[in-house]
Amino acid sequence: MPSLPLLLSQAFNGLALGSLLALVSSGLTIILGTLGVLNFAHGALFMLGAYAAYATLQVTDSFLLALLAGGGFMLLVGVLMERILVRLFYHRPPEDQILVTFGAGIVLVEAVRAVFGGNNQRVPVPGWGEGVTQLGFLIYPTYRLELIGIIALTLGVLWLVLYRTSIGLVVRAGIEDAGMVGILGINVRRTFLLVFALGVVAAGFAGMLYAPIVSVNPDMGGSFMVESFVVIVIGGLGSFPGAVAGGLIAGEIISITSAFDSAYSEVMLYAVMALLLVVRPQGLFGTEGRV
Amino acid sequence: MKLLPELALAAVLAVAPFVLPHLGGSYDLMERVLDWGLLGLGFDLLFGWTGLLSFGQAAFYGAGGFVAAWLLVNNIIGSVWIALFAGTVAAGVFGLLVGYLAVRRIGIYFAMITLAFGQMAYFLENSPLSDYTGGENGLPGVPVPSIGFGASAFPIATGLPMYWLLAAFFLAGFILARRIAHSPFGVVLRAIKENTARAAMIGHSVPRYKLAAFVIAALYAGLAGGLLGVFQSYMPPDAFALDTSGQLVVQTVIGGVGTLIGPTVGAAVWLWLRDNLQALPDVGALWKLILGVVFILLVTFLRRGICGEIRYRAMRGRHAAAEAAAQADGASRPATQLREVRALAMPLTAPMIQAQPGLPALRAIDLSRHYGGIRAVDEVSFEVPRNSIHAVIGPNGAGKSTLFKMLLDEVTPTAGEVRLFGQRITGLGATRTSQLGIGKSNQLNQLFLELTVRENLRIAALARRRGSFRVDILRAADSIAEVERQIEAAMTTVELAARAETPVHVLAYGEKRRLEIGIALATGPNVLLLDEPLAGMSPAERISTRALIREIGRSRTLLIVEHDMDAIFELAERITVLYDGRWLAEGTPEEIQRNQAVQDAYLGGLHEHEPA
Amino acid sequence: MHEPRAPIARRRMLQAGIGLAGGLALPRGLARPGFGLAEAMAQDLPAKLGTYPDGASGPSVFVGITTPLTGPYSADGKDAQLGYELAIAEINAGSAAVAKWGLSGKGVLGKEIKYAVADSETKPNVAVQAQTQFIQRNKAIMITGSVSSATAIALEELAQREKVLNMVGLSGSNDTTGKNCQRYGFRSQPSAYMACKALGPVVAKGLGHGRKAAYLVPDYSYGHSVFDSFVDAVKQYGWTTATQQVVPLGTSDFSSALLNIANSGADVFVNIAFGADSVASTKQADQFGVLKKMKLVVPNISSFQAKEVGAALMQGAYGTFDFWWTMQDQYPLAKDFVESFVAKHNYHPRWGAHIGYMQTLLWAASVERAKSFHPIAVIKTLEASKADPYTTSLGKVWYRAEDHQLVRPVPVVIGKAPGTMRNQDDFFDVLDVVPGEPLLPPIELTGCHMGTYS
Repeated sequence: MPSLPLLLSQAFNGLALGSLLALVSSGLTIILGTLGVLNFAHGALFMLGAYAAYATLQVTDSFLLALLAGGGFMLLVGVLMERILVRLFYHRPPEDQILVTFGAGIVLVEAVRAVFGGNNQRVPVPGWGEGVTQLGFLIYPTYRLELIGIIALTLGVLWLVLYRTSIGLVVRAGIEDAGMVGILGINVRRTFLLVFALGVVAAGFAGMLYAPIVSVNPDMGGSFMVESFVVIVIGGLGSFPGAVAGGLIAGEIISITSAFDSAYSEVMLYAVMALLLVVRPQGLFGTEGRV
Repeated sequence: MKLLPELALAAVLAVAPFVLPHLGGSYDLMERVLDWGLLGLGFDLLFGWTGLLSFGQAAFYGAGGFVAAWLLVNNIIGSVWIALFAGTVAAGVFGLLVGYLAVRRIGIYFAMITLAFGQMAYFLENSPLSDYTGGENGLPGVPVPSIGFGASAFPIATGLPMYWLLAAFFLAGFILARRIAHSPFGVVLRAIKENTARAAMIGHSVPRYKLAAFVIAALYAGLAGGLLGVFQSYMPPDAFALDTSGQLVVQTVIGGVGTLIGPTVGAAVWLWLRDNLQALPDVGALWKLILGVVFILLVTFLRRGICGEIRYRAMRGRHAAAEAAAQADGASRPATQLREVRALAMPLTAPMIQAQPGLPALRAIDLSRHYGGIRAVDEVSFEVPRNSIHAVIGPNGAGKSTLFKMLLDEVTPTAGEVRLFGQRITGLGATRTSQLGIGKSNQLNQLFLELTVRENLRIAALARRRGSFRVDILRAADSIAEVERQIEAAMTTVELAARAETPVHVLAYGEKRRLEIGIALATGPNVLLLDEPLAGMSPAERISTRALIREIGRSRTLLIVEHDMDAIFELAERITVLYDGRWLAEGTPEEIQRNQAVQDAYLGGLHEHEPA
Repeated sequence: MHEPRAPIARRRMLQAGIGLAGGLALPRGLARPGFGLAEAMAQDLPAKLGTYPDGASGPSVFVGITTPLTGPYSADGKDAQLGYELAIAEINAGSAAVAKWGLSGKGVLGKEIKYAVADSETKPNVAVQAQTQFIQRNKAIMITGSVSSATAIALEELAQREKVLNMVGLSGSNDTTGKNCQRYGFRSQPSAYMACKALGPVVAKGLGHGRKAAYLVPDYSYGHSVFDSFVDAVKQYGWTTATQQVVPLGTSDFSSALLNIANSGADVFVNIAFGADSVASTKQADQFGVLKKMKLVVPNISSFQAKEVGAALMQGAYGTFDFWWTMQDQYPLAKDFVESFVAKHNYHPRWGAHIGYMQTLLWAASVERAKSFHPIAVIKTLEASKADPYTTSLGKVWYRAEDHQLVRPVPVVIGKAPGTMRNQDDFFDVLDVVPGEPLLPPIELTGCHMGTYS
């Protein structure tokens, strides 16, 4: 039985882990809810963001600049991907969308490998994030603490956009009934483009933020993508609050399980997902009969 | 010739090992292609036939393979055949468990859940169960099977003999898959893919069919996994990997979804391209990038895949010919003969509920349906005597469609109940009520667009004859004489015999409308609900459809919602009027015509409840 | 466990065995394997075995190489590929360098080496598939390559079944020459046992006795194998295990495990993770302050780890691997190798390239000693090498007959301070090059039961 301080440390760590999962998953769920597209390239986009940060840091030292430049790059990628590829699939069955984004994911990973090689690249922790912070009995990396804050801020901005602006209203209406929104005369196409790009930027942004923590290589996105699938199954498809709650819960599950036996941390997550599917198939915040 | 594909396959398999090695193939490559093909047969039944895209087949591939390999390597079972059987069964059981959780959802959700379970299996294989599975090393040393018993048994050596083993299994698997596909069970699977909601409404228990298809796919996967371990004497851990599931999907799409042989062709193409692309100078690691781009292009522009495209072109020719033949046949029959046939062969199945003669066919008791604060239907009651024609009318927004849905239990009432021949059917669900004998033709066509008229009607006709769920995978879909007669009767009744072999999406609107009625009719309902049957029809079509409705009403109970007042007053024996979700009036056509409240409702009276 | 697959008619191996034993019993000068071995055995060798003689009857022979070019180990895989290609090019050219390894003339026994490199995608099954093709279609006379013990073990199994020699690529697990050993497989990289046994005294000397160690162990058999070997090696110095954190496959965020480690009260952090996982976990360990509190020991350092983690973090870290390029100062043949490689590829070869280079040359040298491509002749030559070790980039080495583990020195290194690096690849100082023979595990403990020759 692990000690209380240890459990508390892990619980706190789960917040950090969970907030990242929340960010990655919210991008996925927004796209899924509004466009009905399950973006199987999401993991690759996460990776692309990390590489964007890496590439920018080759020419500048400012992490902030890397975030901005990376964000802009991911926006471009999102727009291009939607305009060139995804747009062709709105009226095709959902399976086709899965297939094409799956293919896009493979292409992105291999393209990055061709350009940058398979080596692990290093993105250093930014200056303002170095060192550790003492929180009572807990010693925690400063950067991870700041991450929680940055991600909370980002999610807050996303929430504001979705729930307090007219564009956000259109997006949420689109999640309910895209056809109706179109009939009302609103330019649904442009909204779709915006939503897709937003989701891509969220994924890439998460990758950029995470790059200093993990090793940056072309295959880094795979496990995050699967975990974000589990998160939105737990939280409810298409639900933004569901993605956030699901992410935090997933982070806690992984961390607290590892306080007992780290070998089972991943399996526990899947077990919880399976349980939820039996007890409440639509997820915590999902609506009955959505899919 | 019905057995042509099987014979063609057998011929190809027999000849391949003598031809392909000269073209750069090898026995090992052929064995692998066949193994992927076997895995793909089950997957195609799941994805191509039932429309369920699973990204987790690797879980069953690995489960079957590792159970078989573990039993053999640890000498628990000596016979490879028994071990393969055990592995297949284990995979099937695993499939049952996962499927139970996964098939409650469709489309995207389903793909995600299967992917997640596939990953979970991978984690289990690598860590907690690694004592059994060898963890990331896999299980080496799997023996080859032997034929014969005791001292005279000879093992199947690698190379050509092993190829024959794989070929035999694949051929058997293919023959079985084809039988499944062309069985009544397979027909229902296709119906589920084309229009899940309608298939359920017609009376097929969709969740059970989906689960059955899932388990079948898992069984095929388990056998393929076991064979993998056997033919390469090694059971690899990456059998469980996400990549394996992904590669299966990619290969199936390349070869052609819904063709059964597509996954095999796709595997051959993918493996051949992978080997040969790498061999090209300067390509090396770029092979995956190239293939990824090819895949995207294929999904975007050649979605049917190689075999699918070939079959599509072949079918187009065949359909045109069959259509011409059917038209000629239909045109040559005199009109009087048509009417006689209709009268004689009106599809009807004996009622499942044996009720006392006095009870009404259908009875609505205080039916209500509230959506939050909105009362779409509020305490509506009425009775429909047997073999009568009853109409429900009311201005738009009166709640007629909602009422109809509650009569079938497509929508659960907030309060009240419905009785069919005296038995309460509220809460049973549309599938069950359809089996009990109540059917509906929809206001908006709910057809199986990619299938022919005959196939559409067969889906309906199979429902009550077979019950809501039956795994009759070995008989041919058109082998039930009663069902075929029912189809003919329904087709003739709605005058679509000339279009029997036409894909439905080609039909004109009026013909589609008739088919909509025909499908409802083909289930042989004792009580038939017609939701605006005349909607969108031309005056000429209305006349013939009204005659049709009158014919139908002779042999069963009819309930009609319509806006065409002429038709209503001509056909109906009794009319119920709804206004704003509530019962307004009821009576004979003459009584309703004279009713002041009804006139006000239609012409805008009753101001305080007037919608803005 | 290795029962014969098909009842091939048994050959008279007994006589050949006696001949070999007799040859070994003679004084060293007379018992020189190779000369006369093939002749002595000629009547007793099966005429057809595996891809012999089909694969060796023409003007060239084929070597099948699998290496991951995509997937998590693609960097190591590329490195290994370059090592293989360099060796083959030099052998075919009959360069002065390869002459020092005991080869003569161009090619191997006058035949050119043709080869193909297949992407194993870091998956054992794909490697098995590709090599089976090479064997069945190209009549490969030798198969090689792997980056991961799982692949190595699978290929050894394939080699034994197909009767084609497998010079194992990168593989550190004890099982490769332990419970999964094969007659047709030969492994040159130090096993986990050897690496840890070499490392033990050095870290005890450098870090002291009675240390408390916290372990980060990836949850697969390789990881557990290294853990067991290391604990075993430092037990005698009074080292204890403060905590053992097992992390599942695919973890990229080690924070949970590192929190436990940071709170364990240990003073040494032993990181057993490999590849990208070792890079991520080391970085994160630094972020959690673990590296400030504890010394770092990495029993098996991944090829590009130092470059990817950065010299600052690897500074003062102890570890081992198969080869480091500064060993060229000690071994002249290593110098040839490193110089040719740098000239061609502009970076200093890592140990993956070295394994590829060395295994290819060991094979070629054995073929020339045996004067035959016959797999059994070559195997027996390799097994008899103790009496007449090979001259290589690691000095004199030989294969232990009982488990086919190469008996070779193990370098123990320490990370250099960034300021003292002389070039961009100068990450480590070689503290000690520990002779191999004392590091070998006793045969009874390996669990190795060799298969048959045919």
